[in-house]
Amino acid sequence: MKRYSLPAFACRLFESVLPGRYREAMLGDLIEEYTLRIESTSPLTASRWFWSQACRSVPSMVCSSMRSGNCFISMSVAMGVYILMATLKFAADLMISKLAGPETTHLALAPIVFLTTTAIGGCVAARIRRGATIFLALIVMITVVVLIDFKVCSIPVPWWYQFGFLTLGPLAVIITPALLGAYSDS
Amino acid sequence: MKRGELLGSLEHIILLALVRLDDGAHGMIVRREIEERTGRNISIGAVYATLERLEAKGYVSSFTGEPTPQRGGRAKRLFRVQSAGKRALQISEQTIRSLTADLEGRWETI
Repeated sequence: MKRYSLPAFACRLFESVLPGRYREAMLGDLIEEYTLRIESTSPLTASRWFWSQACRSVPSMVCSSMRSGNCFISMSVAMGVYILMATLKFAADLMISKLAGPETTHLALAPIVFLTTTAIGGCVAARIRRGATIFLALIVMITVVVLIDFKVCSIPVPWWYQFGFLTLGPLAVIITPALLGAYSDS
Repeated sequence: MKRGELLGSLEHIILLALVRLDDGAHGMIVRREIEERTGRNISIGAVYATLERLEAKGYVSSFTGEPTPQRGGRAKRLFRVQSAGKRALQISEQTIRSLTADLEGRWETI
């Protein structure tokens, strides 16, 4: 039988993101089915099927974890890391405001600080507990929505600037631990 | 199963699939069986989430299989229907049957 490489990044991503008791069994099933599909169809079709199945499984697994009460620790970890992230970002913003002068410089540096803190937060959360990253990403998303709604930024910014924060922040939380392989073994 | 409590549609379908597959079916086999028989392309996550719920209700039990290289070294989780699950299926079937009885003539007007 010819051997094909598994969608390794997808496996790592869902391994760090998915909560729930049956995460390992589910990923095993996906890999087994992917191997069968790659033999009968094409690598592209099989990969598309794998990604579609894994992405569609996230909401069900999160809801199931919330319903069963297993998510309480993950949510607590996410909240703790979020406070740490907020403190880190506040300190960075304070430093920038002292060093850099005009507000336009702040606008240029803000995405870099934001993405760095969210990436660090994602790695810390995943390192403490798998499944906590999805809750951290949700908290980050809610925070950005609230900040946009309250029009915290005094300078008018284009829509894509805000949209960047809304999408890239949660993505940085989820993707960075998978890219760096920074998640707990348990 | 409490009186008046019915199985959810996905719970019903998954329990029926497990009964059809006999003992020790894992999530992907259940998903495939449902897709082949009903045409519903449900996600594997939805299958496992429902199986977890059914296990909490005592309708199914599960045990861990051996890890294999085909599964990236991950073990299978195999599920089997318990007698409470079979009873729940019977009650659901009876309820649906009693509600749909004598309705044949009305389908055209619905």
